[in-house]
Amino acid sequence: MKNFFYNAAYFLKEAKTVIRLNLLSNIFSLFSTGLIFFILAMVISCWWISAQVVKAIQEEAEINVFFDESIGDGDVMQLLGKIKGIEGVREVRVVAEDEAYDRMAAILGKEARVLEFFDDNPFSPFIEVKIYLEKMDTVLEELGTLTGIQHVRDNRAVLDRLRNIAGVLNSLGYLVVAAVGISTLVIISHIIRLGIFNNQEPIDTLRLLGAPEFFIAFPFLLVGLLLTLGGGMLAAALAAFALKHVYIQMAGPLPFIPLPPREALVSGMIIVVMSLSAILGIVGSLFGLSSAKSN
Amino acid sequence: MIEAKDVGLRYPDGTLALKNIDLRVEPGEIVYITGSNGSGKTSLLKLFMGAEYPTMGSLKVLGQPVVKGQAAAIRQLRMAIGPVFQEFRLIKGRTAMENVMLGMRFLDIPPGQLKKNAGDALVKVGLEHKAHSLVENLSWGESQRVAIARAVARKPALILADEPTGNLDKDNALKILELLTSFKDKKTAVIITTHAPHLIEGEKDAKHIRMEKGSMNWERLG
Repeated sequence: MKNFFYNAAYFLKEAKTVIRLNLLSNIFSLFSTGLIFFILAMVISCWWISAQVVKAIQEEAEINVFFDESIGDGDVMQLLGKIKGIEGVREVRVVAEDEAYDRMAAILGKEARVLEFFDDNPFSPFIEVKIYLEKMDTVLEELGTLTGIQHVRDNRAVLDRLRNIAGVLNSLGYLVVAAVGISTLVIISHIIRLGIFNNQEPIDTLRLLGAPEFFIAFPFLLVGLLLTLGGGMLAAALAAFALKHVYIQMAGPLPFIPLPPREALVSGMIIVVMSLSAILGIVGSLFGLSSAKSN
Repeated sequence: MIEAKDVGLRYPDGTLALKNIDLRVEPGEIVYITGSNGSGKTSLLKLFMGAEYPTMGSLKVLGQPVVKGQAAAIRQLRMAIGPVFQEFRLIKGRTAMENVMLGMRFLDIPPGQLKKNAGDALVKVGLEHKAHSLVENLSWGESQRVAIARAVARKPALILADEPTGNLDKDNALKILELLTSFKDKKTAVIITTHAPHLIEGEKDAKHIRMEKGSMNWERLG
C-alpha cells in the first residue's frame, strides 16, 4: 500500500481507539499476558541456571581406573596415554596414594582421624579419567579392552541419574515454553476477536467504502502486538526484580551452586521474552483475525 | 455505467426483494428512485455497491459484473463509488475531517492531497467550521452533510445516496437534494432514493424509477 507510511499514525491512533473502547478488558489481558510471560521468564531462567549447574556437574564426571600396582612407572604412563586416546575422554591424570589419602582426609574433615588407625596408607594410586558424560558407555567399553587395569570405578548410577536429570529439565523447559506459547496465542486471539466484534460497524463501513482487508486489519494486529509487548515488558521487569532477590538469597546459603552471571542471565531472558512476546502477539492476532473473518 | 438485465434478488430467508429490474444509467445522469418502505429501493442500491449480489439476471456497475466470488473486483468497484448511507455510518470518536479523510486513505490519492480534498468537500457542504468537531457532537443534519462530504471527497464516478431526505422537512430535504445533484458532472452519475416523490416534482433532466413490491417503472422527468 502506497500510503502505508502516511497511514502509520492513523493505524496507531486506531489501535489506541480499539484499546480505549474496551479498556478494562484490555488492561486485564495485558496483566494476564504479563503474568504468563513472567512464568515463562522464570522457567527460562531456571532452565538456564539448571543447565549451567548440570554442565558444571557434568564437567566433574569422572571414572577412576585402578591398575595393577606391580606394573612399573613406564607401563602406567603407557596406560595413561592409551586412556587419553579414547574418544570421550577429556582429561587424564595419575593420583598417587598420598594424594588419594589427602583427598579422603579433606572429605572426612574432623572425622579424618579414623585414618590414623591404619598403620599404612590404605589407598591405592589410580588414574583419574574425566569424561564427556554422553560418551560414558563408549569410554567404559574401550577401557574393558585395555590390559593392566585391575578394576574400574565408574560411578555409573550417579552419572546415569545426572544424565536423566539433565534430560528431564530439558523436556520440562520445552513443555512449559509450549504451554505458555499456546496460552498466550489463545488469549491474544480472543482479545483480537473481541476487538473486532466491538468494532463491527466501523469495519463494515470501511468494507462498504472499499477498504482493503489489510487496511482494516492492521490496527487490530497492532493491538495484539502492543498488548503482548506490554505484557512482555511487565514480565521482564518482574522477572529481573525476582532474579535479583533469588541471587541474593542463594549467594549466602548455597555458595557452591555455580550460578551464571546475573547481568547476562537477565539480559538474555529479556531478549527471549520480548522476542517471544512480539512473535506470539503477531501470530495470536493473525489467528484472531482469521477466526473473526471466518465467522 | 450501470446496466441491469432482468435482475432479481432473493434473500436467504426466501424474501423476493427485487424482480425484473431492467435499467441503464449513463455518466452524468441523475436518477431518483422512489417508493414506499420495503419497495426495494435500498436493496437496489445495495446491489449497485456490491453489498448484495443478484440472484437472477445480470448486473454490471462501472463495467464490473456484480457477482459473488470476486472480492477484489468488488472492492475496486466500491472504491469508485461515493455512498451516502441511510444512517450515515460515520465513525464515532473521530472528527468530521478524520471521517472524510478515512474514506480516502486507501484510495490512490497522494497523501498531500487527502487533507485538501477533505477540506474542499467540507467547504462544499458548508461544514468547514465543524471540521474538527467529533461526529457524535454534530446534529443530525450536520452528520448527514459530513456523510455527503465523505462520499464526494473520493471523487467517485457514481454517487449513491440512500434516503438522504428521510426525517427532514421539505425545505431541508430539497436543500440536500440540491446539494447532492450539484455533484453531478459529465463523468459522475448520482442515484438518490427517497420515499417522498413530491420532493422531485419540479426536477428536470433526471430519470425517475418508481419501485413497487420489488418491481420498477421508470420515466424521464421534466
